[in-house]
Amino acid sequence: MTRAIIVAHGLGGSSDLPVPYAFSVIGAAWALTFTFALVALAWKRPRFDPANPARPLPAAVTTFVDSRVIRGVAAVATLAFTGWVLLAGVCGPQTQSNALLGVFYVLLWVGLVAISLLLGPVWRVISPMRTVYLLLQRITPERLAKPRLTYPESWGYRPAAVGLFAFVWMELASPNPAALPWVKTWLLIYAVVMLGGAWLCGQSWFARADPFGVYSMAVSRICPFRRDSKTQRIAIGNPFDHLLSLPIRPGIVAVLAVLLGSTAFDSFSSSATWRNFADDLARSIHAVPVSVSLSALRTIGMLVFIAVVATTFSLAARATGGIDREQRRALPGRLAHSLIPIVVGYIFAHYLSYLVERGQQAVFALADPLGKGWNLLGPGHLHIAYVLSLHPTVLAVIKVTSVVTGHIVAVIAAHDKALRLLPSGHQLTGQLTMMLVMVSYTFTGLYLLFSA
Amino acid sequence: MRAAAAVSSTRVLLAALVGVIALALAGCGGASKPASGAGLTIDITIAHGQVTPANATLQATVRQPITLHVTSDATDELHVHSVPDHKFEVAATANQTFQFSVDVPGSVDVELHHLDRTVATIHVHP
Repeated sequence: MTRAIIVAHGLGGSSDLPVPYAFSVIGAAWALTFTFALVALAWKRPRFDPANPARPLPAAVTTFVDSRVIRGVAAVATLAFTGWVLLAGVCGPQTQSNALLGVFYVLLWVGLVAISLLLGPVWRVISPMRTVYLLLQRITPERLAKPRLTYPESWGYRPAAVGLFAFVWMELASPNPAALPWVKTWLLIYAVVMLGGAWLCGQSWFARADPFGVYSMAVSRICPFRRDSKTQRIAIGNPFDHLLSLPIRPGIVAVLAVLLGSTAFDSFSSSATWRNFADDLARSIHAVPVSVSLSALRTIGMLVFIAVVATTFSLAARATGGIDREQRRALPGRLAHSLIPIVVGYIFAHYLSYLVERGQQAVFALADPLGKGWNLLGPGHLHIAYVLSLHPTVLAVIKVTSVVTGHIVAVIAAHDKALRLLPSGHQLTGQLTMMLVMVSYTFTGLYLLFSA
Repeated sequence: MRAAAAVSSTRVLLAALVGVIALALAGCGGASKPASGAGLTIDITIAHGQVTPANATLQATVRQPITLHVTSDATDELHVHSVPDHKFEVAATANQTFQFSVDVPGSVDVELHHLDRTVATIHVHP
């Protein structure tokens, strides 16, 4: 019986020191001051628009990125890498040091955010399941390969929200996130659902239902690179314009709420408050093993956090006067893009050291997938450089700065969109609740960084 | 043209703000440090499937010797989730001591493996 909270994220080792109290307070003060200065003083006419011009990069960049060869090479290379990781997972040492765990929990979950933020929605190109699907489609007769259904658009991104929840459940709430059989089962189910859905609905299944694809797509909306809306050329532009191009489909708020709520729960569940509560309650239930009741408690706790984010955001978006019922119902989706910076800022604050330091560990493990003392490409003699852990003050500054920056970007985006959405006369009052909710997310985030 | 100028001024404002925050935060780096020198000792008692302390929060510094002084009525394993990590076999006797130190700053959990409880979280400062 291994304890999930202890084997944090299935990888063991220590976690970050709490952020000093003063840092959190200063961050919170900045967030609060900026928010109300913005509401009171900023522009009164919407300024951001996805159709705003962006500065095009040289045509060669677009040609390179759109080249079938380059895309094919990227897809096949990722597929080969996936095969390598699965080889480690299946044939390698069945311990916590298996390369599969590091790749799954660090390189995939956190690395995908970093790369999507820098380069755009890359998962669309490199998704191994999509590559497998395209390869299978080539070798099966056309009668079988053709999609037989159109994707039900009313589902929107809901399947992806469920998939993201399944991931965070595995990482943060399952009885043992380090259990390789569980991780392999998770991946098998993921593969079956992706291929089965694509067999039925074609490629639109990947765009709507692949949790990693939707995650990558949402994060990529604050990437400075985008395609010019007219020429399709790759250009560099204002991320505030780019944010507005987030597709509004059912379930988009749920996707973002899963990401933000689960990350907050991860902090909270390592606090002594939660551990005392969960330990006492789990041990008072005698019908099931303690690890099962602890897992159930964490599942409930995580669902509560996600539900609180989704509910507060939706209510705050709707809290305005001067519009009819139909318009009010559409508001949470139309403001959902403004939640992305908060999600990304908080995920960076929470997982940055994890990406930088555990990421190295994962790469080193990949050099010896079978535990036979191999040292492919030679990283074996290197040691993990604990660049962030060794400088906790720097790490704390980075964490608070990324939470506060995410907050500031979010309130600017929400303010600008509110000017476009809300009727005149309600533009100031109509965005107040949203500003208060965002301030409360940021305060909670900073509090959790300092207390856990 | 006006829009472009306005956008760039927003960017400048943002960059300035981020800079100011970073400076303000860096300025208060002198957070209180736990006393080093003498080692940290944790007295752990395991009796009737209960452990004291449980979920305690303690402070230490890197390379400071940390001693676990254990009295137990059952065999178990103590796992110290630090860099480097440590494992100690606990026997069902009184007055066992285990000593270790931590090289990399962080929050280190000391866990009783079979009882499935966290004894303490040690904040190891540089």
